[in-house]
Amino acid sequence: MRGTRERGSPSVVPYLLVDRARRRSLRGTVRALRDAGAVALELGFPFSDPIADGPVLAASHQAALRHGTDWRDLLAALRTTSPILPSAVMSYANPLVHRGLDRAIGELASAGASGLIIPDLSLEESPPFRVAARRHGVSLVLLAAPGISGDRVGRIARASRGFLYLVSHYGTTGGAARGSAVDLRPLVAAARRASPRLPVLVGFGVRDRASARHALATGADGVIVGTAVEEQLARDGRPGSMRRFLGEIAAVRAPG
Amino acid sequence: MPRRFGRFGGAYVPETLVPALVELEATWRSARRDPEFRAQLALLRTTLAGRPTPLYHARRLSRRGRGAEIWLKREDLVHGGAHKFNNALGQGLLAVRMHKPRLIAETGAGQHGVATAMIGAALGLETEVYMGEVDIERQRPNVERMELLGARVVPVRDGTRTLKDAINRALRDWIANVRTTHYLLGSAVGPHPFPTIVADFQSVIGREVRRQSIRAFGRLPDLAVACVGGGSNAIGTFHPLRRTSVELLGVEAGGPRGRGRGAASLARGSPGVLHGSFSYVLQDADGQMEETTSISAGLDYAGVGPEHAFLKESGRARYVSVHDEEALAAFHWLAEDEGILPALEPAHAIYAAVREARRRPAREKIVVTLSGRGDKDLEVVRRASR
Repeated sequence: MRGTRERGSPSVVPYLLVDRARRRSLRGTVRALRDAGAVALELGFPFSDPIADGPVLAASHQAALRHGTDWRDLLAALRTTSPILPSAVMSYANPLVHRGLDRAIGELASAGASGLIIPDLSLEESPPFRVAARRHGVSLVLLAAPGISGDRVGRIARASRGFLYLVSHYGTTGGAARGSAVDLRPLVAAARRASPRLPVLVGFGVRDRASARHALATGADGVIVGTAVEEQLARDGRPGSMRRFLGEIAAVRAPG
Repeated sequence: MPRRFGRFGGAYVPETLVPALVELEATWRSARRDPEFRAQLALLRTTLAGRPTPLYHARRLSRRGRGAEIWLKREDLVHGGAHKFNNALGQGLLAVRMHKPRLIAETGAGQHGVATAMIGAALGLETEVYMGEVDIERQRPNVERMELLGARVVPVRDGTRTLKDAINRALRDWIANVRTTHYLLGSAVGPHPFPTIVADFQSVIGREVRRQSIRAFGRLPDLAVACVGGGSNAIGTFHPLRRTSVELLGVEAGGPRGRGRGAASLARGSPGVLHGSFSYVLQDADGQMEETTSISAGLDYAGVGPEHAFLKESGRARYVSVHDEEALAAFHWLAEDEGILPALEPAHAIYAAVREARRRPAREKIVVTLSGRGDKDLEVVRRASR
């Protein structure tokens, strides 16, 4: 994942929400994303109350649940995607808590998950999740966000495994609200000081070449692209189109 | 300030909200020791909120129970017509102390939205209220009140289109605008420190019950009854009584008789995380929140405050549910017996109190928190009675 720093090209991680209605096309989509240059995949598990998601993904969560998507679909998706790309699961806390952290994370690991990202998990509530993830060899990726102190970013970076997920702006997934632009450089620097080897990936609102370039200018190693992938899927999800779409972003070079 | 009540509570939130929660906790810690803040709060409680509210002996309603005496804690007489203003006033003052010029709130029945709009106007703060479309439809008078009070009411069309999804939208707004906005959460739910702060501001109810009971009948009541949606009027009643011998009974919405689990998270749910805290929720096998049903918009919620989850598990409080039809019956009892129109939320508590009174001897005293007045529900009641 230490993309920009070592290879000169960024690590691009696309996000796909698991949706039973799309299970047949999943393999083709993920291969196209890999061919476009993705280094890993984030698989979202739909939740009834996705408070960190903006309108586009929140609607997709609702649609996926309407289509009957359940935990077995997540495990099946992992078995499909993990041989193609290293796959991390993004799930809100409750589906894991309700299933039991040990059981839930054990099942994800057996299905091939290499990482786990929980958007509503603060550092304070993370210890039991970290213990269970470590037991099953899954990297628990923590999130850092604008507004938190350098000291806190450092503590999060030290506790995070796999990479650090840096939220790019004040807001939910999918787009920066007006006036929410934030200088992420101090946050990236604080993470580097605390945990020099941990890659930093920027997400929430990275949607095209310009926003990817902007995110990489902070010194980050890569970007996570979620809402824009979802929109592209809705517009034209054929493998060729998906490859072209993500390829554009993967071709961005960090400035300087 | 404890983050947890036993194993319940905590703050399961995106990191973006952590600084605001830390700031809120620090502000409340300093404010509650600040004589100037306390004096201001006390003055506004008297001169704006209309406290203390009376404790009223409902003699004719008691006769219907043919057992224990029923007393009503008249929170329906608070400014705006519900206990919600106790909390909105306190948090409004905290917002000013944090120099946040904008308030947002969620509302189910509209009572918390009205309370927030009132304090927003009184303190000169911009106010936006998220409300589910279903609730806008069934609590129309409160929507009009909020708008007249200068608040913007934002209809929520996601998910259940009720309180749960209104909270989701308010949380998303807060994540985006956290530097300028205080989320004036209306119930004893949500991430730490909200359950504690809301309980602190609502505890004025239980403190007055203590004092007024002793004045009225020389001792504490045997039983305190309150309705529980998120649980703010109930925790305000129970919290100051939790170290006494008073029995505590929370009453949840059972929904229509014979159909589903209503909105009874404690009586029929299981532990889970919703809106930032670990408590009891109504969920399916995968941990997805279930659709709730209740005639009362204020109780129609899949979660409940974490302190109630703790009171339940520790055995200190009991929680029962009352069906729509029973709450409607109690609405009419109180109207006809005492000349008081209750909101449909506390009508659930009234029903449970009468049921309890029947099982208890005449020397026992039951205090019911009448958390709001029923003007907002006339249309719902009229339709249901047809």
